[in-house]
Amino acid sequence: MAKFNEHIQLGEPVLPAKGIEKALQAGALKDQRIIALLEDMGFPGIDWWTENMPERMVEVGIAEQNGAVVAGALAAEGFIPVLYSFLFANVGRALNQVRQSILVDRFNVKIIGREGAWGEVGISHNTIEGVGFSRVLPNLIILNPADVVEAEKATEAMLQYHGPVLLRQESSPTPVRVFTDDYPFNIGKAYSVKDGTDATIIATGYMLTEAIAAAELLEDEGLDVGVLDMCTLKPLDDAAIIEAARRTGAIVTAENASIIGGLGEGVAAVLCENLPAPLVRVGIEDEFSQSGLITPERDDLKIHFGLRAEDLVVSVKVCIAKKERSRCRD
Amino acid sequence: MAHDDSLVASLEAKSDKLRNHCFTQFCTFEQGHAGGTMSIVDVVTALYLHHIKFDPENPDWPQRDRVVMSKAHCCEAIYAALVELGVFPEETLGTYYCYGSPFQGHADRWSTPGIDYSGGSLGQGLSFAAGMAYAEKLKMALRPPSAEETFLPRYIKRFDPLYRSYCILGDGELHEGQVWEAAMFASKYKLDNLVAIIDYNKWCLDGPTNDVMPVEPLAEKWKAFGWWVSEIDGHDMRQILDVLDLTNRLYGDNKPKCIIAHTVKGYGVSHWESRRMHLGRGEEMMKGVREGREKYGQVQ
Repeated sequence: MAKFNEHIQLGEPVLPAKGIEKALQAGALKDQRIIALLEDMGFPGIDWWTENMPERMVEVGIAEQNGAVVAGALAAEGFIPVLYSFLFANVGRALNQVRQSILVDRFNVKIIGREGAWGEVGISHNTIEGVGFSRVLPNLIILNPADVVEAEKATEAMLQYHGPVLLRQESSPTPVRVFTDDYPFNIGKAYSVKDGTDATIIATGYMLTEAIAAAELLEDEGLDVGVLDMCTLKPLDDAAIIEAARRTGAIVTAENASIIGGLGEGVAAVLCENLPAPLVRVGIEDEFSQSGLITPERDDLKIHFGLRAEDLVVSVKVCIAKKERSRCRD
Repeated sequence: MAHDDSLVASLEAKSDKLRNHCFTQFCTFEQGHAGGTMSIVDVVTALYLHHIKFDPENPDWPQRDRVVMSKAHCCEAIYAALVELGVFPEETLGTYYCYGSPFQGHADRWSTPGIDYSGGSLGQGLSFAAGMAYAEKLKMALRPPSAEETFLPRYIKRFDPLYRSYCILGDGELHEGQVWEAAMFASKYKLDNLVAIIDYNKWCLDGPTNDVMPVEPLAEKWKAFGWWVSEIDGHDMRQILDVLDLTNRLYGDNKPKCIIAHTVKGYGVSHWESRRMHLGRGEEMMKGVREGREKYGQVQ
């Protein structure tokens, strides 16, 4: 059994959506400015809202461009709208509206974008490019929580932060609970789940579960691999990345999204500019996704993209080999 | 309620003064969106210098009426009004298009007190104005009722809105699908505190609006979307004032208002009118400016 840091206690799988719901309701009870902005795609804990806060629900229908701009206007008037839909729709479809009518003026809009790179819904909804097209936008904070606790804490932090935030809500499979209730979440701060000496896996979102499993598998083979949870995809925690490179000299990034424009590229840039170190990026390699509900019994898409713990094990070994080779050259 | 002749005459004179302010801005880089700016100057004059609630000493006054310039490339007209109101000194006109200037190439809420919306990407302004109108309704609904309201239910006494929301759209902008998303939204939420003004100057960049992509039948479209519609001559000051007053008086009818202002691209400068000038540059621009200065230069 690997030795984890403080605030880590692996538990049963729990839907992160539960954490988002809880934080939104607590936030709405405390702060009258919080408004649910719907785009005919439901809302986390919608029944509670319909029962308790019907006057604070705005429904724009399947019109994401209008939705994004109305959100900007509500924020301009002092409200805190939470815009909920699929990521391909509320940011992807309305990219220019988000840019022009939310980000240009740093309006205090919160966007929850559903679906990661896999799920039963298929190629249209599985937004592999979502992180990439969002990271290039100035003034936008991007959060990608890994489990139910982090989802709740990230939602809470998102509501407290003054400015535009995108929270990515991934779909299946339900990740195991990783953090304890007193986990101290901070926007822009990575959290070291496990320290290591041979290599570090920097994981975001649901890939954290796989990264932890990979570290345990590697420990059985006598390798001490660290795991760093990077919930905030923008701004990245540069200091934590540099520290991991200094300590272990080999970095593997793990993301359930395209490696182009995603976590892997961000980490690569930080390393190149500060402390070049061998790097392997694990993610989706420039292709679209497809249907494939992931359950404990079925993981076709994970196999397809090479995103299982076993695949990470291979990548970590490749990265350590790169490190050894570069030492030989020295 | 008829407006007296002296008010109409003084606003007409102000309009000409605003045109002069626009010429000054066009001169900075011998460039500007002359056609669409000239077509909307009269409406902007009526709005800013007479109709809306706006405090030049405090442009961020929470109860000010909101004005969204959705066709934000014609923000020169708004800048001219802000100078005339004393929000900015006249010298600012000469910094139009310059680095660090409050008079940016497209209206920018952060740079310019008095500007409510950072526009430029066409088709989004009506959504923003509708969002602000919705926010007004929400603020009224969420605040504790006043002593007056506890005695008089709202259906007996009609209250004025906290503020009204105005949006100026171009006619070519109506090609954007989002405008009609916003039209449905405003109608659904009964935004009778929202007024859209369409600068129907009949010309886009590539040619006549109704050739590029027909928008007609325009009034019928807005009516079908559940809006109250009125058509006016957008260069007749009396008509502009009358229709704006009417939209105020109709508050409480649960309908968003659409004013279709029939205008002329490049209005008032024959050189630009004849060319349906969209974006003027260099000598094309300066020829019009010289003509305009001669015509309106004596205005005080």
